[in-house]
Amino acid sequence: MNIDHGVLLPVLIPIASAVLGLLFLRGRHRALGLFSLLAILLSLASGGRLLANLARGADPAVLPIGGWPVPASIVYVADFLSATMTVLGQLVFALAIVYSLGCRDRCARDSAYYPLLLTLSAGLAGTFLSGDLFHLFVMIELVVISGAVLTARSDDPAGPEAAYKYFYMSTLAGILLLLASGCLYAAHGTLNMADLARRISAHPECPLGAAGMVFLLSAFLIKGAVVPFHFWQPDFHSAAPTAVSAALSSVVVKIGVYGFLRMTTLLFVPHAEILRSSLIVFGAAGLLYGGFAAAGTRHAKRMLAYSTLAQVGSILIAIGWGTIPAIAAAIVLIVNHALIKASLLMLAGAVASRSPEKSASFESIGGLGRSARAAGVLYFAGALALVGIPPTNGFIGKLVLFRGGVELGRFGTVALLAGAGIVTMIYMLRSFARVWWEGPQGGIEPKPRGDRLAAPAVLIVLCLALGLWAEPLLDLALRGSVYLSEPAAYIAAVLGGGS
Amino acid sequence: MVGNPRTALRSSGSPQGFPSAVFGFAFALPPAAAFLALLALAPRVLDEGALVRSIPWIPSLGLAFSIRLDGLSALFALLVSGIGALIMIYAGSYAKRDPGAWRLFLYLQIFFVSMIGLVVAGNLFLLFIFWEGTSVASYLLIGYAAKNEKARSAAFKSLLVTGGGGIALLAAFLLIESATGSADLAEILASGNRLRESSLYIPILILAALAAFTKSAQFPFHIWLPDGMTAPTPASAYLHSATMVKAGIYLLARLNPVLGLTESWFWVLTATGTLTMLFGAYLGLSQRDLKRLLAYSTISQLGVLTMLIGQDTAIAFKAVVIAVLAHSLYKSALFMTAGIVDHETGTRDLDRLGGLRRAMPGTAAAAVLGGLSMAGLPPMFGFLAKETLISTATHPTLPPFINLILAGTIVAAGALILAQAGVLVLGTFAGPRREGLEARDPPAPMLVAALVPAAASLLFALVPLPGIASLLAAAAGAAFGSPVKVSLALWSGVGIPLALSVVAVSLGLVLLRFESRVRNAQKQLEVGRIIDRLYDGLLAGVDALSRRAVRLQHGRLRLYLSVMFLAVVILFVLFGRPVPPRLAPASVPLDLWAALRVFALAIVVASSAATIVLRRDLHAILALGASGLNVAVLFLLEPAPDVALAMIVVDILTVVILVLALTKLPAAIRARADALDFRESKRQKILDAILASGVGAAAALVAWTALATRPRPSEVSQFYAERSKALAGARDIVGAIVIDFRGFDTLIEIAVFSLAGIGAFSLLCRGALKRDARAADRGSRSPLLRSFAFVILPLCMVLAAVFVMYGHDRPGDGFVGGVIVALAVVFWYAVFGAERSRRTLRWVRPLPLAVSGLALALVQASISYFVNGSFYTPVDFGRRLGLPLPDGFALSTSFLMEVAIFLAVLGGASLVIDSTGHPDDSESCESSGEGR
Repeated sequence: MNIDHGVLLPVLIPIASAVLGLLFLRGRHRALGLFSLLAILLSLASGGRLLANLARGADPAVLPIGGWPVPASIVYVADFLSATMTVLGQLVFALAIVYSLGCRDRCARDSAYYPLLLTLSAGLAGTFLSGDLFHLFVMIELVVISGAVLTARSDDPAGPEAAYKYFYMSTLAGILLLLASGCLYAAHGTLNMADLARRISAHPECPLGAAGMVFLLSAFLIKGAVVPFHFWQPDFHSAAPTAVSAALSSVVVKIGVYGFLRMTTLLFVPHAEILRSSLIVFGAAGLLYGGFAAAGTRHAKRMLAYSTLAQVGSILIAIGWGTIPAIAAAIVLIVNHALIKASLLMLAGAVASRSPEKSASFESIGGLGRSARAAGVLYFAGALALVGIPPTNGFIGKLVLFRGGVELGRFGTVALLAGAGIVTMIYMLRSFARVWWEGPQGGIEPKPRGDRLAAPAVLIVLCLALGLWAEPLLDLALRGSVYLSEPAAYIAAVLGGGS
Repeated sequence: MVGNPRTALRSSGSPQGFPSAVFGFAFALPPAAAFLALLALAPRVLDEGALVRSIPWIPSLGLAFSIRLDGLSALFALLVSGIGALIMIYAGSYAKRDPGAWRLFLYLQIFFVSMIGLVVAGNLFLLFIFWEGTSVASYLLIGYAAKNEKARSAAFKSLLVTGGGGIALLAAFLLIESATGSADLAEILASGNRLRESSLYIPILILAALAAFTKSAQFPFHIWLPDGMTAPTPASAYLHSATMVKAGIYLLARLNPVLGLTESWFWVLTATGTLTMLFGAYLGLSQRDLKRLLAYSTISQLGVLTMLIGQDTAIAFKAVVIAVLAHSLYKSALFMTAGIVDHETGTRDLDRLGGLRRAMPGTAAAAVLGGLSMAGLPPMFGFLAKETLISTATHPTLPPFINLILAGTIVAAGALILAQAGVLVLGTFAGPRREGLEARDPPAPMLVAALVPAAASLLFALVPLPGIASLLAAAAGAAFGSPVKVSLALWSGVGIPLALSVVAVSLGLVLLRFESRVRNAQKQLEVGRIIDRLYDGLLAGVDALSRRAVRLQHGRLRLYLSVMFLAVVILFVLFGRPVPPRLAPASVPLDLWAALRVFALAIVVASSAATIVLRRDLHAILALGASGLNVAVLFLLEPAPDVALAMIVVDILTVVILVLALTKLPAAIRARADALDFRESKRQKILDAILASGVGAAAALVAWTALATRPRPSEVSQFYAERSKALAGARDIVGAIVIDFRGFDTLIEIAVFSLAGIGAFSLLCRGALKRDARAADRGSRSPLLRSFAFVILPLCMVLAAVFVMYGHDRPGDGFVGGVIVALAVVFWYAVFGAERSRRTLRWVRPLPLAVSGLALALVQASISYFVNGSFYTPVDFGRRLGLPLPDGFALSTSFLMEVAIFLAVLGGASLVIDSTGHPDDSESCESSGEGR
């Protein structure tokens, strides 16, 4: 067991900084923002170190908290999957904080705003790094409460209502997770994921095991905003502060995806077939519903939120295919979609910040792009990436995804993905034309200044860089996928050698 | 004037203008350099067959940056770079007065790079990347005059069609890769019959054809091209006639050696090509806009090329390469002259043009040369192209009836095209000068750019340069797969081809003569926009579906949750193995305890039901409280005193907070809420009841199964039970688990609790309904209650202190302590009113309390890292320092954690109490959230 206290840092640094910020920097939002940025960058560095160690070939870093023997203690595990997800999450959160520093929202001047962003990122990192099912639940609670409070305090008048709905539906997910933990503990007497995986493979037909699986699946379906468990998502994004919705739609929604990966490659390997086929069905539903709903909505942020349903759908399909190239494709898509969607939401928010009503509905922002050309260039690049047109990372993702399907001979599903791509093109092109090509609506005077574009610019540069120089990510994804195909590696890393 | 981007440009142009001529020459340099470099390389290409260079790029994808220059590539690359250089110069004059012209040059340059890349790419996926690049550049150029609605929708249409084709191309390439095992063009071209014999052949063929047809504007995907004439004319000349629209032709020619030579290939391509050829030629004649007319004739010509590739004979490929060259030359020349006319006169409507030959002699010369070549008349290069084309139709390898059809359609199309060329040139330059039409020849760079390709059309035909013939031969050979002879002699003797040609020309002249009558007849038929209507219908269908999809997101939480619950139940039924196990014969004695349990359970059920049935909000809340307390009783009977205790205090706190929240609601709203019946119909209620029973049944089944299969040994539980005292120093297992074994959970949970307090606080600030509840702040005047309040607070604090100190060993802990003190504070708020409570209880500062609790938790967890080298292991300072402490109390990190929990819970709870208990919100939010 490669014990490394560094596994805790991506969780501890943001939480401790949030506490320090709330204690000492109340009322000084500028200082608080910069301090939080520093904290999240440190946390990102600590996550990067974990990933770099893994890339060098080290064993997954493991930490039983408190030093208690393993199944009895909470374990933190940084394997390929969790380290990648953590780094991705912290990266997006760092940029969300950068965006917040340059934004004109009143809520960003709140004393609790940055600390809440930090706890949200900590919760996210903890969700990925936890090797314990119940601790994962606890961390998701942290994510939910932070996200809900941030949204409740949003400038948008619909904030409290959106937060309320989000909280309600997330609580349902929480209950399901708790039920799942209960069932699995009753069935297998452990909450440690490695231990659970080992026991489930040994006794796949244990009573309550299947029920636990269903509840866990449902919980992750809610977290991943998978149709028909997606209802919290679109309402949430139109009301949440831009930085928060960017983070939620890009990385927090990936908690569900992460869960599916863990379920199919670790926890429920004996039942993986049935899980995979249901994921393909759910993925296809999301692909269709999300695409059409995005095309039908009249609000830029909602459109992007719906599009997330479709994008998550395609990731689900990749996970459902389950081969090594398909899982690698899923990882690539997870990373790419996070970067693309975060940047697009930030750009939509930046344009909305220039509209007098501060709304991202097309009625308010139609034609406003003429005063924000730079945002238009970035948005166009982001749109290309979302559609999957080279030279962006979206193209790389589409290529590996389609190839994964072709290798399996799943031509029908690939055709569905292709059709969804065309729908994506329809709504992205329309939204671009509405905001940047059309003339402004009668009487709308854009504000002279809006939110700064540094954060989305960095994200778009990353999107292009990962399109032109995709090898490192592809290599990482492939190695991660090979690693995931051998659940014994995770189990051995956590429980020690000869399990 | 409608649809003319120039008007938009002019209106926004500044009088000083933009140094666009300089830009034009500067941007002409890269294509010119490329042209010269290609010329220099051409001899080597002819000698060696193909020049290949490859740099590894993304090996995991099998994607190399590989360049492959053979005859076919060289022909296209020379056209792209040569015409590109001319276009850039032309655009320099064209875009004068347009301050945003840098965009035009940028897009043109992006296109140039992509198009060159497309034709020299030696790897399928590299080719695809450049292919998409050309589509995107085309989109941006068509939408260049974005203020114009037509330009926007044309741009959208073009990218939708070509982008959709792009997806088909990607799929085709993936299938090719999977069938041949390589994405490298050289390897694929060397794979012989592998693709043709593959089971994937038909899908590959269809997908590749789709890609080529969309890009090369074949029927029925041609619709984007005429609309795309909203692009600035340089772009139309360059992309939409000379080069980009031939990308599909290039693709088909490129893949012909491995995909062609089959029946299906022949039918798909020949049929589509012939149809497109006729359709384009027919509709071209009815156009009055110069650019649209040219666009339709381009479509027709592209159809010719597709048809020829489908035939798969040596002479067909000879015709392809000659036609590609001829068309690129004359069509770019004609587009540029159309642009000049438009630029100088401000219109390109044939109805408003005429008689410009004197005013614009240079332009007229270019147009005449181009027009002659387009009409296929000698001594132009276009004549050569048409002759070769007609000779393919009479080729003996084809079945006679096909020969007949081909010959007929080619003659018909040829006649129509000739008439169009006549309409175009004569309508603009011949006849009487229209009134008010001011014009003169454009600046020299513009005119020269148009004259060069026009002159080349003549020159290449008159002076057969050997280099050209051999380049064309190499190109045709690369596309055909085996050597093709190409001679460029204008006169090939008298024969059937010549006769057909004469027929076509005479027919064309007749059409030209009766041109206006023909056009009127065409108007009656109205076939032109059939496909556009289909496109509109498809989009409308998508929109209708979309609206329907959006309507599902109706904003009603009740229904959202219902759907989710229903889905969970369905999943549970499908995959959850909902089979109740048989319960072992009851071994539970029916004693007093059992009776008590049943009683408590009955109360839980009854009071839960009551929360639904009771109308008054207060009653419902009290029923909820009763339900919670009886759950606590059940825990107590289990016996689980820790859990029961926590449950009791939480339940009381919940009820208190809810009641406090009620006092914040204005009486009117409460009354309305009380009177509100669920507006849903009876059916809705029944459905809800069914759903609720389903969820309940699932939960009951799980509980039943858990009971029936109990007890099962768990290593972990056993470990906790045996070791909690020894390892964690706690006699109370729950305490040991909460504080030690899984203490990190607790740490995060108290963070959640504090944040929830902050959240409730801010929600209440936002949703505050002011002024109404001011009366409530008076508090109670009863002296008994007041003195009781003075007693109860210290008592609760002592109790909490005991819980915190001994919680590790006994039931009760920091959490319970925190809630109890919070309850005492609530009592103060109720008795003395918020103002006075605040003044007296100055130590209740919610946010600092909560946050310092969290801070303490983090500190105690980290201490052990520095003491023991391990995060969150217990450290007993008391024992280390040898302090005399009462039995059962240890001055340890566990104690610190209890204190931390106490502080965080008290803080979080008082955040809620403070904001619900205080009547006037706006100030309290500012002051207590930030300051207190």
